[in-house]
Amino acid sequence: MAEKSHVLGMADLLVATAPVKLVTLGLGSCIGLVLFDQQAKVAGMAHIMLPDSRGSGGTEKVGKFADTAVPALFNEMLRHGANKMRIRAKIAGGAQMFALPGASADFLTVGAKNVRETTMRLARLGIALIASDTGGNRGRTIEFSTDNWLLKVKTLGKGVAEI
Amino acid sequence: MSDLGSFNALQLDAIKEVANIGTGNAATALSKLLSCMINMEVPQVELVSIYDLASHYGDPMQTVGAVFVRSTGEFGCSLIFIQKEEAAQLMTGLLLRQQFGAYLPEVIPPEMSDSALSEVGNIVLSSFLNAINLLIGSQHQISVPGVAHDMLSSILDVVASIFGCMGEYALMVNTELKVEGLEVQENSDITGNIILIPDPDALELLLKKLMVM
Repeated sequence: MAEKSHVLGMADLLVATAPVKLVTLGLGSCIGLVLFDQQAKVAGMAHIMLPDSRGSGGTEKVGKFADTAVPALFNEMLRHGANKMRIRAKIAGGAQMFALPGASADFLTVGAKNVRETTMRLARLGIALIASDTGGNRGRTIEFSTDNWLLKVKTLGKGVAEI
Repeated sequence: MSDLGSFNALQLDAIKEVANIGTGNAATALSKLLSCMINMEVPQVELVSIYDLASHYGDPMQTVGAVFVRSTGEFGCSLIFIQKEEAAQLMTGLLLRQQFGAYLPEVIPPEMSDSALSEVGNIVLSSFLNAINLLIGSQHQISVPGVAHDMLSSILDVVASIFGCMGEYALMVNTELKVEGLEVQENSDITGNIILIPDPDALELLLKKLMVM
């Protein structure tokens, strides 16, 4: 099938109809969030950087923060004809790239906070999170294809997993 | 917050000069450590959009070796010493061979080269910071170094998330060190970049101490 491939950059958010391939390269502490409705043949992805938009001074990119990205992606899915009862979610990312023993630096654990906030926001909207590959200390490259509705997660030195 | 647009030419020059002094000290330390000549570039002070940090510094998917330290004190900042993976391997190989000679195992265990890499990063970054703090007469504490080998884009996520909390741009002080006079294979330079990520307000303090603010 001739599918269109989209590569999402930092803080991007995109919804498209099948056939489509959604890609995000080199996620570190960021989150790759996928929402999809297999029956309506709609899939969307967001590249979330940070958990909370409050006190950030505002941004035009709704995909940047988990608290704004999840509802925005959800609404965009609905606009593309997805049914809110059928929308499922998959997430990957949220790694902690550096561990500094003894140092307390908030920004080093931003990955875990991203995962927590994204999961919480999904639950609040009643979206079922059916697969996730998060945490650890390795970066991930992710690819979601509407051919099989699977999220391919590539990790350096660990190979490829499909979730 | 450190909006580059709000700094005048004199202040930018001052930041560059401070980074230059730091780099000089770091180059000397690396030179002593490796017993090699080191070439250094004039540091650049740039304002980079956090959305294309990775592509600004190279191929986002390229594997790099990075050492990260955090410094607290009056001039709070984070520092990353970042190298292409091959360069990092060459450099740790060089250092370990000098130290252990014939006793070095044929295949260097990753723990051993990681340990060497973190030590080199530690020495380079600490020398960089020592020079700066000596100059402005402030005290600082440096954390234990953290090492990662991963895609450039994943590593720079750390930087993007630091600046992302405050705005859309990252103020980056970037400089390159190159090991000279090595008899190694072609296209296998040992270079490394030091990236200084000042905490919010740290630059203002720096400029005040230098009396250009």
